[in-house]
Amino acid sequence: MSDTPPFTSATENRQWSDLHDQIQDWLAGYADGELDEHHTTLVEAHLAGCEACRHDVERQRMLSERLQEIPAPRLSPAFAKRLDDTLVSAQASNKRPIGHRPLTGLKHWLARLSPSAVIGGGGWAVAMVLAAMLLVPNLAPDRSNQIAVANHIPMVSDVLADYQRAVGNDLPTPSRDADLSPPMPWPNGRVLARWTTSVGGEPAEAYAVRLGNSLIVQYQISERVFFRNPDVRQAVARAGDFRTRDNELEVIGVPMQASGLLVVAPSGNLPPIDKSAMSAS
Amino acid sequence: MVNKSTDSKRVLKMRSTGSRQQFDTLVRPWRYRLYGVAQRQSASPEIAEDWTQETLLRAWRDFGQLDDHVAIYAWLLRILNRVVADGYRRDNRRQQLAPVLTTEDAALNEHPCAAPGPFEQALKHQTDAQLTAAVHDLPDSFRQVVLLRDFEDLSYQDIAQILDLAPGTVMSRLSRGRRLLAERLIKVASDNPAASNNTHTRVNPHE
Ligand SMILES: [Zn+2]
Repeated sequence: MSDTPPFTSATENRQWSDLHDQIQDWLAGYADGELDEHHTTLVEAHLAGCEACRHDVERQRMLSERLQEIPAPRLSPAFAKRLDDTLVSAQASNKRPIGHRPLTGLKHWLARLSPSAVIGGGGWAVAMVLAAMLLVPNLAPDRSNQIAVANHIPMVSDVLADYQRAVGNDLPTPSRDADLSPPMPWPNGRVLARWTTSVGGEPAEAYAVRLGNSLIVQYQISERVFFRNPDVRQAVARAGDFRTRDNELEVIGVPMQASGLLVVAPSGNLPPIDKSAMSAS
Repeated sequence: MVNKSTDSKRVLKMRSTGSRQQFDTLVRPWRYRLYGVAQRQSASPEIAEDWTQETLLRAWRDFGQLDDHVAIYAWLLRILNRVVADGYRRDNRRQQLAPVLTTEDAALNEHPCAAPGPFEQALKHQTDAQLTAAVHDLPDSFRQVVLLRDFEDLSYQDIAQILDLAPGTVMSRLSRGRRLLAERLIKVASDNPAASNNTHTRVNPHE
């Protein structure tokens, strides 16, 4: 920009009209708040002097809001049943590949994302950011697995209290022949102790795992207790798991074959939840 | 040693049943939304059902290759997108021309409802079915981004991954697609001002 020649009114007009043309392709991004700061500033400067584009932004917004109100079409019960039957027979006939082969398709997919498109480098797809985003388990479009208030769910307040107790006291020394393999093994995790506690009024197995510098406790609880809360049921139905936090602690809940797993960790220290490694019990 | 080998067999067995369980936990909840996206692109509910089923079967086939922490819904939509493209290819569906309107387009500026306030009014009088039908009639490249953004509420980044586009292309298609949609809705409202007062008019998008 520094060596731009002094404006004549003709070049000024041409530049304005070039920008006007260019900006029309950014108006959805502006209306949706998806533009980075730099481009937002450019658009706002243009909008101040261009009524046509201003109206367009308003229409983009209204249209988007109105379309979002439209409910999703329903799956007919007959089709849902047929779908289930088809899947069950596909699952029965086809021995699924066991374990996890490297996902070349995904790598390819990541590589294809260009870090800077029309929009410029700014806030966009730097590969690292993207990779981090993809590593968040079950990134639901609406973050529907996040449950805001933890304490109204008894099983959550129980495990939080038990965690505080465990951290505040010496962990019980594991007996030599106890089975210390936790429901969810982590490659670098070391199981320090296992004990029985009560969660949601029913017995639960607790496994304390040291991972790096954090102490993480896994609670295996009954399925009945796990699914008792409607917020939990909804989050799990939509996202496959649920997460919540309470001050310094984070809780993730994952349904298992015939039980539920609650993992309590200091905020930001939850390892990725590897559902493939979970024992099926 | 013997113990070890039976142990690892046991683990393998648990994993294979586990993956079926994982599939059901992770993928099944999305059937409804997948069907919705399929239905809004298809000529009939039956085709949408076929697409949904095909998507889930392909998802099952590829599930073992999936990283555990991939965003499941985006992954499923990506498969659906391929299924739909294959379906279109089989039907030899001609690509609809995607016209580019400018913000100074005559229809966008001549009619009273093109102004934000009246446009909002006109929009309110469109039934869900009319709006869905109008989205359905958009050229493919516009309809895809409008569906994923305005119906499925996905970020441009997610949409870019699903459709294999640069985020900038998502943005320009969305800008143009909504502009075309707005123009068509304005035309409908001005051609038929009586209908816009009748909120009970229902249109079947598939007729
Ligand atoms: Zn302009």
